[in-house]
Amino acid sequence: MLSADRVSFGYADFELQDVSIDIPRGSFTGVLGPNGCGKTTLLKLMSGVLKPRAGDVLLEGEPIGHITRRRLARRIAVVPQETHPAFDYTVMEMVLMGRHPHLGPFALEGPADLAIAREALAATGTAHLADRVYMTLSGGEKQRVIIASALTQSPELLLLDEPTASLDLGYQLEIATLLGNLNRERGVTLVLATHDLNLAASLCSDLVLLREGRILARGRTGDVLTTTMVRRLYGVEADVAFHPGAGHLTVIPVRRAEGGVR
Amino acid sequence: MAARAKRLIVALLVGTALACGRASPDQTTGPAPARRIISLVPALTEIVFAIGAGPQVIAVSSYDNDPPEVKTLPRVGALLDPDTERILSMKPDLVLVYGSQAELLNHLSRADIPTFRYRHGGLAELATTFRQVGELTGHLAEAARRSDEIERRLDQVRRRVAGRGRPRTLLVISREPMSLRQVEASGGVGFLNDLIQLAGGANVFADVGRQAVHASTEMLLAKAPDVIVDLHYTGALDDAQLQKEREVWRPLASIPAVKSNRVQLLVGDYLVVPGPRIVQAAEEYARAIHPDAFTSSR
Amino acid sequence: MNAGTTAAQNAAVAAARPARQSIRARLALTVTGFGALLVATCVLAPLVGSTPLSLVRVFDRTVPFADNVDAQIFFIARLPRVFAAALVGATLASAGVVLQALLRNPLATPFTLGVSAGAALGAILAITFGSAVTLGPFSPVPLASFAGALIAVAIVYTLASAPGRALSTSVLLLAGVTLNSFFSALILFVQYMADFTEAYRAVRWLMGDLDIGAFGPIVATLPLAIVSFGMFALLPSSLNLLSVGGDVAATRGVDVLRAQRLAFLSASLATSAAVSLAGPIGFIGIVVPHLVRLLVGVDHRVVLPASALFGASFLVVCDVVARTVMAPLEVPVGIVTALIGGPFFLWLLVRRG
Repeated sequence: MLSADRVSFGYADFELQDVSIDIPRGSFTGVLGPNGCGKTTLLKLMSGVLKPRAGDVLLEGEPIGHITRRRLARRIAVVPQETHPAFDYTVMEMVLMGRHPHLGPFALEGPADLAIAREALAATGTAHLADRVYMTLSGGEKQRVIIASALTQSPELLLLDEPTASLDLGYQLEIATLLGNLNRERGVTLVLATHDLNLAASLCSDLVLLREGRILARGRTGDVLTTTMVRRLYGVEADVAFHPGAGHLTVIPVRRAEGGVR
Repeated sequence: MAARAKRLIVALLVGTALACGRASPDQTTGPAPARRIISLVPALTEIVFAIGAGPQVIAVSSYDNDPPEVKTLPRVGALLDPDTERILSMKPDLVLVYGSQAELLNHLSRADIPTFRYRHGGLAELATTFRQVGELTGHLAEAARRSDEIERRLDQVRRRVAGRGRPRTLLVISREPMSLRQVEASGGVGFLNDLIQLAGGANVFADVGRQAVHASTEMLLAKAPDVIVDLHYTGALDDAQLQKEREVWRPLASIPAVKSNRVQLLVGDYLVVPGPRIVQAAEEYARAIHPDAFTSSR
Repeated sequence: MNAGTTAAQNAAVAAARPARQSIRARLALTVTGFGALLVATCVLAPLVGSTPLSLVRVFDRTVPFADNVDAQIFFIARLPRVFAAALVGATLASAGVVLQALLRNPLATPFTLGVSAGAALGAILAITFGSAVTLGPFSPVPLASFAGALIAVAIVYTLASAPGRALSTSVLLLAGVTLNSFFSALILFVQYMADFTEAYRAVRWLMGDLDIGAFGPIVATLPLAIVSFGMFALLPSSLNLLSVGGDVAATRGVDVLRAQRLAFLSASLATSAAVSLAGPIGFIGIVVPHLVRLLVGVDHRVVLPASALFGASFLVVCDVVARTVMAPLEVPVGIVTALIGGPFFLWLLVRRG
């Protein structure tokens, strides 16, 4: 449903070059790569926050630059790495902000919107936090609230940028389970940018490997996630094997590859 | 900062203009008459020229414009911005300054230059100031003569309006052009208050112990003056402008002065300078407050 | 950033703000409450002053208005003044709310950012040199004041949105301090160039003056104020999202650039309306929004109208204090707001530090 067609984007010291990807409806795509490879930039291009210097990002064939922010936000929601509101919003207020694209300029949210927000809180296991001040929550709670807020947009596509980067193991698992459920049970299309190979392996049906602003490989997780690719992506020799207990591929780094990254 | 600037500027406004010397003779002053005089106080400049010491003046303040002779003299700043270097370089043997110009006074005393410190006072101090300036400049006799003459003529004005009652008078020192915002009026002390008294009026702010009062619209209405003397001493106003400035008072119709058309706009810088032209000023104020006392003459 | 909020404050906030209440109910309750407060202050304020008034005489129709001192004091000296205070308080408080959300910083206000000083410089230039310029029935003062505010806001915004650099509170406040001193220096320079009576008037004006003595100045400022309030009305839900973050706002459907422009323009308009009417009165933009947030929470759809209403009441009361505390002399109203706002601002800084 969302595709990038030969997209390039450049700051002075960084380039994303000729990136083409396709996100099928209902898929769960992982964008993998080392820090600084352009994952966040790619996600911002896909959500229309940044405009590509060349190429197009298309939502069902329509360049997203032609779609108003409001219309776009009804279909695509984003969960950033971290969210720091300047004021002490309550969790409920943060979540209800997701209804913004569905409300007119002077409209206030009504019972229907409230019901959607409550459902999102329930789905993310944060209903009991509704009256708390967002900034007083723990990292995992915050991230789940932000996911709830994104869900309140009722999006078809959810883009997540390292949502577990700052979380400890328990919360990471919680978020992973939540995302898996969203994809399977609600049919939300998901794009997850992460540097965590095992997280991607456990969740994603498709992978895009990104290195130094270029696509290294893309395809089904089982095809792309190989020892060779891990070496080329991270410069690390690793064991890639199916883990029967976890039920997915796992990557165990062994040592730094000889000859460095290349 | 604003408050300090305000104080200074009020001092300047009221000071330059209204100051009447309560002079303190300076110890550093030698007995020989000064030959190279610099005056930073317009009122003193006028006095110096009036007593015949004009040719001894070598520089004046940036606000001086009377008598006409000063127009060709060098300018060396004023109350807030005296050009100390320039003043010192001119090698004066007497500098007439405001008593509040502490920094300048410091420099001058270090350079051993005699000074005359000027402080704000009332009408009563005018004669003293004349005499002191006369002494310092070597024109004591002329100073005494001019001072006596001023006293005599002021007394004439005083007698002219005597026994005519004392209309409650508001003296507006300044306000925003074309509006009644930021009205500053004469308070109950100082040279302008004395002049109202002399001219046969009763200052509505006589009970306020300061030279200037910031008068709100409410105070203007509540004080209900019988006469309003509205001073415009900077710039030139033509008749149409004067008429417009008078109209500004129209909305405050409950003020007796407005109702009975006794808002008097007076134009001219001599109205606020406590120097030799004070006689004209006093006459002008008296004419404004007691017009019927002047109907026979002029 | 706000994690330092103590549990006690949280409890107080939660108690004062039943989050379960719908936004509609909260908005209705808040507007009614603060609206009633404003009506009460506007009704009571004209009854208070340095002169005792008899209400019977004020409304005595048998005496012609021109002869009725009580009525003149009431309708000429006090009413316009109360309305001016309400208008200025509402615009400055709202501008504070908007700038705080926009710059994502609770210490941003027209005053602390130097926007008021910019507006003041514009106004002073117009007052000093503008008498020659006439724009039909319009006074050049509000327009020049608007231009000054806009320049100040543009500078702050450029600093705030420089790429690759997060704008910390200290940078923002330093920028504000710098702009304030810069514009103040220019104002002093203008005064210095002008003759001393003009300069004196300017200084007095800089301390704030609501004694307008007629409804004319209010009418002259009203277009600016109405346009700015019209723009404010479009903003609140965008401000919520902008205060969470620019990218978040964009992905939640806010046209960020348009919303930011609207916010900056409206805040500049509002500030210049206030400054051209009454001079740069400080601290309204910080005291009012913070008190309002303590009472009704942080949702801008409630905070913005509540701040406008409460800001109006607040300045009306400050002005009553200014004209009665040393009666018959008047304290410039800017000094009253500064005496309240200065310590309040420091307290906020300490609490946040």
